[in-house]
Amino acid sequence: MIIEAEVDRLLVVSDLHIGNPFSEASGSLGSFLDHARRERYHLCINGDGLDILQTSFANLANDTVRIVERIRALLASGLKVFYVVGNHDIVLEHYFEGFSEIRICPFLNLRAGARRIRIEHGHLYDPLFVKHPRLYDALTRAAGPLLHVYPDVYRVWSSYEKLKGRVNQRFREQEPSAYHEAAEMLLRRGFDAVVFGHTHRAELLELLPGKTYVNSGNWMHGGTYVEITNGEIGLHRWGGEAPTR
Amino acid sequence: MSSRTQSHAKELERAYGDGECIVEEGDHSRDMFVIQSGRVRITKRVGEREVELATLERGDFFGEMSLLESLPRDASAHALGETQLLVISAGSLLVRMRRDPTFAFEMLHRLSGRVRLLNARLVGLLDERADPLLYLPEAAEAGQK
Repeated sequence: MIIEAEVDRLLVVSDLHIGNPFSEASGSLGSFLDHARRERYHLCINGDGLDILQTSFANLANDTVRIVERIRALLASGLKVFYVVGNHDIVLEHYFEGFSEIRICPFLNLRAGARRIRIEHGHLYDPLFVKHPRLYDALTRAAGPLLHVYPDVYRVWSSYEKLKGRVNQRFREQEPSAYHEAAEMLLRRGFDAVVFGHTHRAELLELLPGKTYVNSGNWMHGGTYVEITNGEIGLHRWGGEAPTR
Repeated sequence: MSSRTQSHAKELERAYGDGECIVEEGDHSRDMFVIQSGRVRITKRVGEREVELATLERGDFFGEMSLLESLPRDASAHALGETQLLVISAGSLLVRMRRDPTFAFEMLHRLSGRVRLLNARLVGLLDERADPLLYLPEAAEAGQK
């Protein structure tokens, strides 16, 4: 099982949810992967790349064809592809291991330049996922058919998450976000930066002096990604051709 | 002289100067350590000699054997350059494993690597010193046939 890697140039995306009717990834991810290949960036899909919980196999197969071609092209050009497993694709872990060139990891400790960076999906710190795993699974699966009938369910959920984030931020001094707290614990273990996904909320902030927390956001309604170049970390939105900052 | 600061979840952070002793072989201290910055040299006395076992870097951990087994320190550790450590006691290890579960995974990963390395060294030693038939039952059986 791979948990250590050393690369100087890496792009991190998460929560693509390919196969989900609301995912924008099947449309715009292709040009992003071409950009990675042209600019010689390795790729890390930081969890929930494929959505096995909220879609049918037919949708998934249909939406992945062109993306798999692009990923093969990345691998053929000598670039590495890391796949950090998330909560929507845990069951695909062994399936992916069949594609031996894609490196499957539970999390990744990256050495980039002189910096140590932890890349992890982040679902292990989701209070609902940890405390009520069956309820979480049932709610996630129940939302699947709803998304096909009424796609705005995702917008409702997304608005709720944003509101929850604002409320948490307002009372942060009393109760830090579970994700920030988890990232802080990791940063105290000698990491310079922590990259999570899962929350769908793209953010970059300094949690401890000189130590960064970044969330790579999502491709359901955003298309954000993290760029790591020689240890420097940036959060960007994919605009089709050149990165928009 | 090392300095102490209180860290997250009741864990301590300690700073050591270059060459300063962190733990001495035979000590009865029970904490384990994670290197936040700097490097640590691990050594062990073999007869009259002191043998270097490893040089550990940022993110590495050591001292877990005494914490887990409540036995005296098996080796000594000294700081190489200015070194900052996270100090974890048995109680805080459980808290950390609950709140930072990948730490447990990393510990098992490294301990598994060490067992594999020791197995390879053991086989190497046995290969040098003895006929393989003496320590491999399958080979002995095959030889008898």
